Amino acid sequence: MNTSHENIFSEEEKDILQEIMNIAFGNATADLANIIDIYVVLNVPDIHVIGVGDLPKYLDETIKLKGESSIVEQKFWGDFNGSGLLVFPDRTGKDLISVLDHNEQETFERPLAILEQEMLVEIGNILIGACVGKVADLLDTFVTYSPPQAITQTGESKTTLIESFDLNQSAIIMKTVFEFEKKNINGFLLIITNSECIGWLRKALNAFMESYE
Amino acid sequence: MIKKILIVDDSPVARKMLKKCILDQDQYEIVEAIDGQEGVDKFKEFSPDIVFLDLTMPVLDGYDALKQIKILDKDAIVIILTADIQPKSISTVMEYGAYTVIKKPAKVQSIKDIIQKADNKLKGIARATDEY
Repeated sequence: MNTSHENIFSEEEKDILQEIMNIAFGNATADLANIIDIYVVLNVPDIHVIGVGDLPKYLDETIKLKGESSIVEQKFWGDFNGSGLLVFPDRTGKDLISVLDHNEQETFERPLAILEQEMLVEIGNILIGACVGKVADLLDTFVTYSPPQAITQTGESKTTLIESFDLNQSAIIMKTVFEFEKKNINGFLLIITNSECIGWLRKALNAFMESYE
Repeated sequence: MIKKILIVDDSPVARKMLKKCILDQDQYEIVEAIDGQEGVDKFKEFSPDIVFLDLTMPVLDGYDALKQIKILDKDAIVIILTADIQPKSISTVMEYGAYTVIKKPAKVQSIKDIIQKADNKLKGIARATDEY
């Protein structure tokens, strides 16, 4: 990875972004727990800044995507703009269907692939929306969203994903790893923003901390 | 009366935010730890009056740190300051003996209130101890 991208933010700015991501994802999981009976084991989030062109390599190596993975993507717009990606490697997304027990009857009436996709989109909508929304709230701005969409990870979908970014720009990746306890499902939430909003983001991060000075 | 405060959080930003929320910092001795294990070690060494403890941390998480601290001192006042506000997380730490749970980000008023409340509790414990 190109270190010049990593140096776009100072260490303190990265620390602030990491804590904001931690707060935002914590809120998002609480929102999810209010809707479905699930407990999410949280981990410390990571912040990376890489070249957009390195995104497919990052997804392959860092997240170790092998075989078919389930991905939900939701774009967001505003001062803070980019894409939220909820990733379930190795088709674990299909196990999410068992999470909504009260829809058990429906499970037998509709094709599994459609149910899996609907479940992924719903969970993606809650986690990405709540997480991005909380980041925006903490940074004193607001965002609008495109509808979430489920995509099956293939080389083609990764290419489609990076096409929405300028290849010469930097992508800020906020990654958090989580586990759905008792369901043995691990996932990743990535919030990727491009360098267009880096100037705004830096100012917003500093303004956030100034309220604590 | 509260004199010593231990802050356990892996995020330097979260520790800084919390310290800024502790008004009249000069009247307290504040010690910081960057993960649960260091938190337990500093609890032994420093004997704080209250502990602010994060849950999601490397090395030793807040749940295990809380259990170890309560083994060291069953009366320890441990305030969980966390972003993880899922009902199960809150009920688990309360079961482990946390004093209360505060949602991140730290806010001046909630920190002030909880320090006051913990101070009253400490005075209560001191009074009860005096009676024996």
